Amino acid sequence: MRPCGVFDKSYALDIAIIRTWQHWAVLISALVFLYLFPLFGSYYLISFINLLCISIIVVLGLQIVSGFCGQISFGQAAFMAVGAYTSSILTIRYGISFWLALPLSGIMAGAVGIIGGAPSLRIKGMYLAMATIAIHFVVIWVILHMEITGSFKGLYPMPPSIGGFEFDTDERMFYIIVSVVIIMTYAARNLMRSKVGRAFVAIRDNDLAGEVMGVNLYYYKLLAFFISCFYAGVAGSLWAHLITVVNAEQFTLLHALEYVGMLIIGGMGSIPGVFFGVLFIRILNELVMFTSPALAKALPWMGSSPAASLGLIAFGLAMAVFLIFEPRGLAHRWEIFKSSYRLYPFAH
Amino acid sequence: MGKRLGILFTMVVVICLSLTMSTFGAEKEVAYLSLADYTGPIAGLNVPADMGLEDFIKEVNAKGGVDGVKIKFIGIDTRYDVARAVSAYKRYRRTPRLLMVNSISTGIGKAVARLIERDKKAQLVPGDGEFQAHIGRTFLWGPAYQDAFAATLDWIMDDWKKKGKSGTPVVGYLSWDNPYGREHLRGGKEYAEKLGIKFLPPEFFPPGTLKHDVYLTRLAKAGADYIHAGGVDPTPTNVIRDGHALGLTKTIQFTTDYWGPTALGIGVHAEALEGTVITSFYERGEDARNNPFVTDQWKKYRGSMDKFNEVYGMGMSWGMTYVAGLKKALKTTGYDNLKANHMYKAYQELTGLKKHDIQGPCAYSPKSRLGSKVVKIYRVKDGKIVPITGWREVPNAVGLHTF
Amino acid sequence: MIEFLQHSITGLMTGSLYALVAAGIVLVYKSTHVVSLAHGQLVAFGALFFWFFLGGLGLPFWAGLIPAFVLTALLGLAIERVALRPLIGQPLLAAFLMTFALFIALEGVFVLYLKGETRTLPHFLPQGNLHVAGISVPINQLIGFCVALLLFGLLSLIFKHTKLGLGMRATAEDHRLAQSTGIVVKTIFSYIWILSGIVAAVAGIATANVMDIYYMLPYIGINGLIVAICGGLDSLAGALIVGLLLGVVENVGAAYLDPLVGGGIKDVAGYAVLLLVLLIRPYGLFGLVKIERI
Repeated sequence: MRPCGVFDKSYALDIAIIRTWQHWAVLISALVFLYLFPLFGSYYLISFINLLCISIIVVLGLQIVSGFCGQISFGQAAFMAVGAYTSSILTIRYGISFWLALPLSGIMAGAVGIIGGAPSLRIKGMYLAMATIAIHFVVIWVILHMEITGSFKGLYPMPPSIGGFEFDTDERMFYIIVSVVIIMTYAARNLMRSKVGRAFVAIRDNDLAGEVMGVNLYYYKLLAFFISCFYAGVAGSLWAHLITVVNAEQFTLLHALEYVGMLIIGGMGSIPGVFFGVLFIRILNELVMFTSPALAKALPWMGSSPAASLGLIAFGLAMAVFLIFEPRGLAHRWEIFKSSYRLYPFAH
Repeated sequence: MGKRLGILFTMVVVICLSLTMSTFGAEKEVAYLSLADYTGPIAGLNVPADMGLEDFIKEVNAKGGVDGVKIKFIGIDTRYDVARAVSAYKRYRRTPRLLMVNSISTGIGKAVARLIERDKKAQLVPGDGEFQAHIGRTFLWGPAYQDAFAATLDWIMDDWKKKGKSGTPVVGYLSWDNPYGREHLRGGKEYAEKLGIKFLPPEFFPPGTLKHDVYLTRLAKAGADYIHAGGVDPTPTNVIRDGHALGLTKTIQFTTDYWGPTALGIGVHAEALEGTVITSFYERGEDARNNPFVTDQWKKYRGSMDKFNEVYGMGMSWGMTYVAGLKKALKTTGYDNLKANHMYKAYQELTGLKKHDIQGPCAYSPKSRLGSKVVKIYRVKDGKIVPITGWREVPNAVGLHTF
Repeated sequence: MIEFLQHSITGLMTGSLYALVAAGIVLVYKSTHVVSLAHGQLVAFGALFFWFFLGGLGLPFWAGLIPAFVLTALLGLAIERVALRPLIGQPLLAAFLMTFALFIALEGVFVLYLKGETRTLPHFLPQGNLHVAGISVPINQLIGFCVALLLFGLLSLIFKHTKLGLGMRATAEDHRLAQSTGIVVKTIFSYIWILSGIVAAVAGIATANVMDIYYMLPYIGINGLIVAICGGLDSLAGALIVGLLLGVVENVGAAYLDPLVGGGIKDVAGYAVLLLVLLIRPYGLFGLVKIERI
């Protein structure tokens, strides 16, 4: 819905993502704020945003394959692992620079994703979800039992550098990660307005009708998996060079489930929903993790470990309560809020 | 409905924030960060160990702290998850006077070690030989896994000779299919070769495997005289249970490393575990139960001795090292300038520190990252863990492997 | 040959546990179309309740069994009433995620109670081994195996010959149709979760017979899920057959393939089988084939 008094007077305005000068002002000031953030933000907040952004990239990919194309995938953590390992191997073993390894690891993860997405040609729904869980375990197992991945020892990639300038702190990596997130978000937002995006949505809403209309199901399903895993691979590469240690234990099924949780809580089929979902789960996680020592201190008879399990209970319950009261996700709430302020001062 | 939810959420946030705020204090304070797995696969080890440490710190603080400086214990539940641990470390990195980080799990230890080096802080990890091979800011709790495993192999040779058998013993090894499970062999395998032991191809299985019959029968068929069961308890207990059900305990001697069965598990599976040999760098079983220093603290904070877990004592020994290191660091710089770097230096000067016999004398030095260099060999006898040797020096197996 | 048989028999024993776990998942899916991730926790809680009465309070076997069943059934009912009923009409993925949230919350409770410790059931079944033609089988596991077979028989009887079972089958077919014939679908859901809770308790007790009660116990639910899907989510017979098969495949695979690849076959055997089955027969080996083009 357009805000009051805003009309599309030309075609360019009609297809624009950003329509009003207020929009532009908010966007530009937000970007400036974001890029200046390391100058005054606390170290913890910066490192938190880094991890947040990596999750956002992963969930953006998930949004494309699950939210838009309707193919539920629990393999995102494994594809992230593929990206992380590819990037590490390329930079360590072959001396390729990080800047080339970043897209290459996305492509590699995408290629594995096409194999992983192959079952989607035969099955859908929960069966497909379970197949992707199986793929997760197979991928992790293969990584662990290969020589080139450093097997159980893992790999130690170096932080990226450009002309002798090392991105070796969280503040410096922040610029790379935030830039990648902005590009990836822009790409995802636009992809959904293109022919490809519409084909995805057609497959999600009714695959039979889509096929009748000339959407090549096989091609577009695999393409969705490729794009989604490309996102995961890029995120994995960033993760590898941020943490500088890659180990198969970093990518577990619980992470994959958490990513799907972020998607649902944020809202399926909405790009802003990705941001809401990731923020919600990550902040909940941090709150739970960091209040438990305080809880242990406030209630000394309890001790640290029971406080930690209380945190686990709180996390589960918060997610459950959320699903009961807002199963359509935060994006839905956001839409309601947006339409109400756009209509202001009118009621309808 | 939405409004009520909003109020609920705000309330939760406010409570959380006020809890966080309440932790700020004005006293002279130093911090100890424990990145432990309280709710994951190795919780059975972490929870009692950190309990011991927490109670020890409470005791120290109640007596006025170390030269007037109180110790703050921060326990973070990582759930065996590297991302969580790294995030937690970054959150607490700037805590004033965070002097030591204890990272429990091989994966977490390796990931945090990098950051520790960069921040010039100090870290404790369980027993990865890698950190002894490449000397850095990471200290081990006791001997490295491979060193302790080599000590077990030494004992196996002694036992073999004592039984008057000729030839060389055949040793099998089975453990978790993860970095921890494979660490013992990096050096341990070379040591076995040096001793002339016939070492069978190792067996690996996922944590949480229901039955271990396949692996045990394969090792038995290959003629194993000794089987070393790895993994953190209850895995070794379950492995030996399966071995007992297969009738292997009669002919094969089972050994475990220091995460082997504790007195709690042995109470129930006394029959199956009878005769199991445990190599441990901290006091177990009857030894720990007869150590008044440990039991007094347990009784004071935890009550009855029924649920006493020996790992509790190990946690206390971390506290002792920390207090001794803090004293040294305070002496050299005073409270105002105290940094983790001073603690790192102080730890290296703790060589020979006695720990009430919970653990052997401290072996930290500029050239060593080992918490101690001695182990005791225990055996399960009539449902009790009794020592069969005194403290024995561990061989240097780390040095045999190229890392 | 003897060795192969021995490995297979050992696998069958483990497989019966998988089948028991899968049975609960199949029951729930059959009528509510919810794939329950929380089932592993139900299994673990069944075992924990049983331990509480047997090991904690020292009650005799039968006196411990009944309250363990009742409590697990109540837990199942609570999950349905409190968490899943509000989600009726929402996408199935939301319900799946709800079971994931419940898994985490219940895990917290589990850990809160155990505090990282291990609980071991006292020996409530005869110990020792049965030796037949060079193959040895632990008696307590053999009993567990028989119980599993009996339970599956009982379940199929309930489904075929009781009014409740008929209602459950009708609900499984089509919710709206069932509703219009006078079956109260929501009540059927409650019954199903109670039944699933009882089955979970049996599975939990049988598992705790082999493995101690500790952190890893709930994760047997994942194996149960594999079995349920391979067998076809709506087929009880499929769960039984595939459960037993998976046990055998895992064990025999570990016996003969591990030396070739350097260990850890048990990690992936189940998933490899699952992938293969899904690619060849998408609705599981014994599942109802829905005529639908993809």
